[in-house]
Amino acid sequence: MRVAIVPGVPALRPEYASIEDPVPELRAAVAEATRWLGSGRLVVANGSAKRTEKAPGYFDDRAAAFDEALGAALRAGDLAGLDLSLAGELWADVAGLTALAGVRATEVQVDYDDAPYGVQYWVVRWQCTP
Amino acid sequence: MTLKLGRRSFADDATLMMAIVNRTPDSFYDKGATWAEDKAFDRVAQVVAEGAEIVDIGGIKAAPGAFIDEDEEKDRVVGFVARVRAAHPDLVISVDTWRAPVARAACEAGADILNDAWGGADPELVDVAAEYDAAIICTHTGGVTPRTRPFRIEYDDVVASAVADTTAYARRAIAAGVDPSSVVIDPAHDFGKNTFHSLELTRRLDELVATGFPVLVSLSNKDFVGETLDLPVGERLIGTLAATAISALAGARIYRVHEVVETRQVVDMVNTIAGRRRPQRAIRGLA
Repeated sequence: MRVAIVPGVPALRPEYASIEDPVPELRAAVAEATRWLGSGRLVVANGSAKRTEKAPGYFDDRAAAFDEALGAALRAGDLAGLDLSLAGELWADVAGLTALAGVRATEVQVDYDDAPYGVQYWVVRWQCTP
Repeated sequence: MTLKLGRRSFADDATLMMAIVNRTPDSFYDKGATWAEDKAFDRVAQVVAEGAEIVDIGGIKAAPGAFIDEDEEKDRVVGFVARVRAAHPDLVISVDTWRAPVARAACEAGADILNDAWGGADPELVDVAAEYDAAIICTHTGGVTPRTRPFRIEYDDVVASAVADTTAYARRAIAAGVDPSSVVIDPAHDFGKNTFHSLELTRRLDELVATGFPVLVSLSNKDFVGETLDLPVGERLIGTLAATAISALAGARIYRVHEVVETRQVVDMVNTIAGRRRPQRAIRGLA
């Protein structure tokens, strides 16, 4: 089974298109990953929106550690044991990750890992055993 | 419909800045600032850097003044057009003239547009446009003689007159062989009009847009702005931009201007509010 984890960024939606795309690399990574995904499972999630003073949720000094742990789990292909209890406070969108309970990846590819606007985004492909 | 201006074509939602470049010692706004050819050449480079898609080169000021014959007008304009063409191969070059022989020489030198501010005073101008596949700006003057000021001109309906005359001129141009996608109309604020007429044209510009021909507006620092606000030349930019905003909302396509940057910002802002243009780069609330 294939799984793609992408952030739910409204700027990616056609109705919010600008002349100059504010998220060109992210858009390209999401397009690539979803093309690879085919009929697999698309999971929408992202890290904290409180990473910097200019971030949508302002700066929270716990955001970096939270995102580091979540990123490490995504790269490991296994979310077991991950503590997401601060997600609400840190404006992290993790609700979609519950769909991955008990799922483990045998191969992981990280297409995108950045926070251009103070929100942590990942685009990650998981190849899982059925 | 795609707008074809000589060597360049533009999408039907594109708005265009036409920067005024005077090869005159006596035009009302710059008072000879670009009379020296090198100064005019520098002005072209500047407006291109500011984003103007078109330059409008004129050798005779619109208001009454010293008589400039055809040869003198050519001396002022034709060589300069060639020089601008050589330096800016993709720039759309417009020539502000009503005289067919001057227009012909300018087209030979590389002009793309004939901007006939005097509403077809020389009937052969359309033939030159057709021969050189140039665009033509069809203006409304109420039938006045070139380089005269309006004096007690009355219209039953100035907007109806502008629609009738500019579209008649446009049809005449097309009949003469001008590409229909190269025909632009201009109600010509202040030409053969008092301030009330120019204000009404601005207020009802949508009626010109509704003709289907692309509409050019030439509002920049004109007397109708000055009289409306009781401000002299040099203090009319804000009033000009207000008129520009109203014209943009109505759907004007080409803006003949002294100030490129300010006009571009107003036109883009208005067209984006109107939903005809996307924001340049929006991420607020969308990250």
